[in-house]
Amino acid sequence: MLELKCLFSCYLFACSIIRAPLICLALRPSSISTVSYIDEPGQHDDNQRHAVQMENTYQLGPVKRFPAMAVNNILKDVLTSYLQEEKYEAELCRQMTKTISEVIKARVKDLMIPRYKIIVLISIGQLSEQNMRFGSRCLWDAGSDTFSSYTFKNSSLFAVANVYAVYYE
Amino acid sequence: MEEYHSGDESWHPLILRLPLQCIEGIIGGMDYNQNKVNQWTASIVEHSLTTLVKQGKHFKYIVNCAIMQKSGAGLHTASSCYWDITTDGSCTVRWENRTMYCVVSVFAVAVSL
Repeated sequence: MLELKCLFSCYLFACSIIRAPLICLALRPSSISTVSYIDEPGQHDDNQRHAVQMENTYQLGPVKRFPAMAVNNILKDVLTSYLQEEKYEAELCRQMTKTISEVIKARVKDLMIPRYKIIVLISIGQLSEQNMRFGSRCLWDAGSDTFSSYTFKNSSLFAVANVYAVYYE
Repeated sequence: MEEYHSGDESWHPLILRLPLQCIEGIIGGMDYNQNKVNQWTASIVEHSLTTLVKQGKHFKYIVNCAIMQKSGAGLHTASSCYWDITTDGSCTVRWENRTMYCVVSVFAVAVSL
């Protein structure tokens, strides 16, 4: 299985220009939307490579289940150690989101749970007068796939970390 | 039977358009409303998921939606994935209007058949 470092960060601010959009549509005078497509690093040279044909494993389910509680502790650990003393600053948080997502992915990989694909999603935002809502839905096999989530808050920022684990049959 | 390689570029534009239409249909033209935002995120996510499933591709999907009121605060999002790059992919759609931002991320993980 090949690893993909798939990083993107999007920064939203009331007045700044949204960077690197591939398509920009103005659907109505009052709403703007951009679609960011992640350009995966391996894709250009691997265009000719077809998906690998796998042999049947004859396994009915995961041998070792994904430990959601242990991952929760990892998230708590990483977020607290990286963000406890920090104040919200645009440049710092941009770098921090990328770093933290990489660190969490590395630590979850260290748990060595076989045949699981891992997706880590981090959001760091500034605490101000705004209200916000995060929602997530997944279409997967509930018997083998799971997720873990943690929210961290200090005086000037909040961070939400989601880890999704998908079993590869 | 048609052979489908998930490494193709052809499925990306399909996935790109779908969440955008869902967002526009559900919150287009509305102002941020704290009482309704719960319902909005749920509808956007469920609607995106059902439309993706209707494409009939062999994927497991993870759809994430964030709606934030506009107040001058900043927000950063990053994702890091450990998967097979020939078969799996992701996409993010950002939408805004006068009073709020909406960011929808879709991750598609292949199911082997």
